[in-house]
Amino acid sequence: MQHYRVDPTLGNEIAAFGGQTLGRCFSCGNCTAVCGLSKGDTVFPRKIIRYLQVGLSDRLLESPEPWLCYYCGTCSSTCPRNAEPGELMMATRRWLVSRYDWTGLSRRLYLSEAWELGLLAMMALVVLALFVVPGWLGLPFGFKAIDASAAAHVRLDLFAPTRIVHSGDWTLAGLLVLLLGINAVRMVAFVRKGMGQLKVPLSVWAGKAYEIAVHGATQKRWLQCDNDTLVRWLLHFLLVTGYVTMLLLVVVFLPWFQREHADFHFTAIFGYYGTVTILGITLLAMRGRLRKREQYYRFSHVSDWMFLVLLFLTALSGILLHIFRLLDMPWPTYVLYVAHLMIAVPMLIVEVPFGKWNHLVFRPVAQYLVAVREAAQARQPVPVPATRRAHAVAR
Amino acid sequence: MAEMRDRYDAMVIGGGIAGMQAALDLGEQGFEVLLVERTPSIGGVMVGLNKVFPTLDCSSCICTPRMAESAHHPRIRLQTYTEVRQVEPVGTGFRAELECKPRYLNEDTCIGCDECELACPVEVPHEFDYGLGARRAIYIPHGNAIPQKAVLDVEHCIFCGKCEKVCPTTCIDFAAEPRTVHVDVGAVIVATGLDILPMGRKVEYGGGRLPNVMNPLAMERIQSSNGPYGRVLRPADGKIPKSIAYIQCAGSRDRSIGVPYCSRVCCMYALKQALLLTHYIHGVEVTLYYMDIRAFGKGYEQFYRRAVREGVRVVKGKVARVTEADNFDLILRVELLDEGGRVDEHRYDLVVLSQGLIPGWHPEGVIDLDVADDGFFETPEIKLNPSFTTMSGVFVGGVAAGPKDIPDAIVEAGEAAMAAANYLTRTRWRTRTHAA
Repeated sequence: MQHYRVDPTLGNEIAAFGGQTLGRCFSCGNCTAVCGLSKGDTVFPRKIIRYLQVGLSDRLLESPEPWLCYYCGTCSSTCPRNAEPGELMMATRRWLVSRYDWTGLSRRLYLSEAWELGLLAMMALVVLALFVVPGWLGLPFGFKAIDASAAAHVRLDLFAPTRIVHSGDWTLAGLLVLLLGINAVRMVAFVRKGMGQLKVPLSVWAGKAYEIAVHGATQKRWLQCDNDTLVRWLLHFLLVTGYVTMLLLVVVFLPWFQREHADFHFTAIFGYYGTVTILGITLLAMRGRLRKREQYYRFSHVSDWMFLVLLFLTALSGILLHIFRLLDMPWPTYVLYVAHLMIAVPMLIVEVPFGKWNHLVFRPVAQYLVAVREAAQARQPVPVPATRRAHAVAR
Repeated sequence: MAEMRDRYDAMVIGGGIAGMQAALDLGEQGFEVLLVERTPSIGGVMVGLNKVFPTLDCSSCICTPRMAESAHHPRIRLQTYTEVRQVEPVGTGFRAELECKPRYLNEDTCIGCDECELACPVEVPHEFDYGLGARRAIYIPHGNAIPQKAVLDVEHCIFCGKCEKVCPTTCIDFAAEPRTVHVDVGAVIVATGLDILPMGRKVEYGGGRLPNVMNPLAMERIQSSNGPYGRVLRPADGKIPKSIAYIQCAGSRDRSIGVPYCSRVCCMYALKQALLLTHYIHGVEVTLYYMDIRAFGKGYEQFYRRAVREGVRVVKGKVARVTEADNFDLILRVELLDEGGRVDEHRYDLVVLSQGLIPGWHPEGVIDLDVADDGFFETPEIKLNPSFTTMSGVFVGGVAAGPKDIPDAIVEAGEAAMAAANYLTRTRWRTRTHAA
C-alpha cells in the first residue's frame, strides 16, 4: 500500500493556474460518464478533480489522464454544478507542465504576467543585441555590416549570413529539444511511479514506442470527442502542418529559403502555405476566444493569448519581411528580419519548453504511457478479488 | 354545491389537493369560498397518481373523497374550466376577473351519462394519461373527474353532430362562448401547484425523443389499475419491461438545465414506483441511479430501506447519457462512484427520468405577486408565516410556494387557510352575517 501526503495548498494553487471552480464540484460523475474518451482504466475528469479537491498532488503527478483530454467542453456544458470540469483539466495541465519542468521557470511564467512578459522582452533584447554587439566588436554581422551595396539592395548575405543564422537555428533547436526531452523523461518517471508494483518489461516499453509517433503526428484520439470535433481537429492539424513546414524551411532548408533581394525561389510557395494556415487559424482561434461562444473558448489564461498572439505576429512579420525583400527595400527588410526573430525566438524559448507548446510532446507521451500500462496489465495474471479470496480462506 | 355569487370571503386559485384543503378548511370555519380550477376537473396531479408514499395508499381512493367533499360543500362554489384573468386589490379585499371557458354544453343539464363520448368518432391522445391512451373529442376528463360533466375539445371536434343526436338531455351547445365573471373576495389563496420539467430539457437523456424514456407521471398512469394499458408495458412496442432504470435528479439539482434546487419528491416517488414494479412484474430488475437519496419525511427512510430490501437496486452515480440501441432498448452511461469510478454502459428495456417539479403557474399580468428566482412564489416570512406572499391578503399553499410532497402541501394549505381566516376576521370582511 502506497502512502501519499495530502497537499492542502493544492486547491489554491490550481486556482492560480486558472481552475477557480474546484469548490463547486460535488463529485456526481456526470463529466466522466459523458466524456467519450473516458473508458477502461483511464477515467477523467472527476477522478482528477477529486485529486485536486483532496490535495493529492502526488497522485496527480502520476496521472497521464489530463493529457488525454482535448477540451471539447461537453463535460462543462452538462455539469450540474457549473464546475467547469474542462477548465479544471486545462488548469491541471498547466500545473503539470510547471511540475514536469525542473528549472521552476515554467511555474513563474504561468503564475506571473510580469515574468512571462519580462522573459519574452529580455529574450527579444538578446536577439536585438546579436545584431548590434558583434558589429561593435568588428565582426561582419548585423547592422554594422550594412555597407553601401547593402544599403542600395537587400544583401542578407552581409546583414545576416545564412551560414551563421543556420548554425544559430540548430543551436536553438538543440537546446529546446534537450529541455523538452528532460521534461518528458521526468513525466515518464512520474507516471511510471504511479504504476506501482506493475511489472513493465522492456519489450513493452519498446513495443509501444510507435504510439508516440502515431499520436504525435495525427492526434487521432481527439476525433473520439463529442463536440464539433472534426472541424477543430482539422484546423489544428492544418496549423501543425503550417508550423512544421515553417520549421523545416528555417531549420533544415534555410540555405534555400533565405534569398537575396528580388530573388524568388520555389521554397517560398511552402512558406506561403505555412503563413496562410498560421495567420488564418490563429485569427479564427482569437476570434473564438473573444466571442466566448464555444465552451472551450470561454476561459482564456494569459498563456493562451500569448501563444496565439506571438504565433500570429511571427507569421505576420515573416510575410512582411518576404514582401519587402521581393520589393528590394533594404532597410525595411533588415528591420523586419530582426523584428521577426525578436518575436519568434523568445516565443520558442518561452513557449516550447516552459509553456503551452510543450503539449506537442506531453500528449503523445501520455498516449504512449497509457498504452504501456494497458499492455503491461494485460500480461499480469488476473488478480482474485479480495472478498472472494477471504471467502476461500474461510472455507 | 353553492350557487355562483358576486361576493365571496376567499378565492382559492387551483383545485389540486392543496387548493381543496384550503377551501375545505375555510368552508368548515363558515367562510364562503370560491374554488377556481383551470382544467375541467378538480383533483390536480394527485388524482392521477397510482399510490402514494410511504403508506402505499391508493392515491385516487384518498383523493376522491376530498374532491367530492369540496364539490358538495354548502359554502364552497366550484368553478372548473375557469381561468383567473385579473386580481386587483380593492380596499382590504380584491376584485377578480374570471374567464369561464365553454364546455360547449349546458353544465346544469349534463348528467355525465357518457353517451356523447361513446358516439364521438374522433380520437385524441389523452392528457390525463400523458398521451399514452386516447380520449374522444367530447369526453369526461377521467373516471374520477369532478364534476362528472363532459367537455368538448373544440380544437379536435369535426362538428359531425353525433354527440348532439345521442345526448338524452340535449345539452350540447356548439355556439357557446366564453363568459367573463367579476367577483369581489376578501382574501386570495394561491395553490397553483406544479408542472413537471419538460422531458426534452436534458438533451443527453433523450426524453421526448426516445419513446421508452418515460415521464414519471406517465409511469404513475401505467401502474394505475385504471391506467391506459391496464398493466405495465413499455410504450414503444408494448413489451413487458424486464429491466428498468430510474435516473434521479434528471430534472433537479442541475444548473446546466436551469433547475438548481432539489425537487424533494423524486427520490421517494421513484423508490415507490420501483418497489411497486417489483410487485407488478415477475422477475423484473429495477435499478435506481442516484446522487444522494433524500428520504427525509416521516417513515421515508424506512421506506427506502424496505425498497432496497425488497430488491430495488440502488447505484450511486449521475447518469450522463441515454442512447437508443436496436429494438428500442436503451443504453445508460454512468460512472459507478462506488466501484472505483468505473464507467459503465448498461442496457435497459425502459428508463424513467425522475423529472423535477417546476411552478405550474406564473402570476405575471394577473396578480402583482413576486416570484423567486426559481419561479415559485416568494414567501418573505418563510420561517414563521410560510404562507405569506408579497401582497397582504394573498396567501400561498402547496407546491406553488416550492417543491413539496402531499403531506407537506396539505399542512401548508391548512396554514394558508388559517392565515386567510385571520386576515378576514382582522379586516372585518363580511360576505353575509355569520351565525355566531
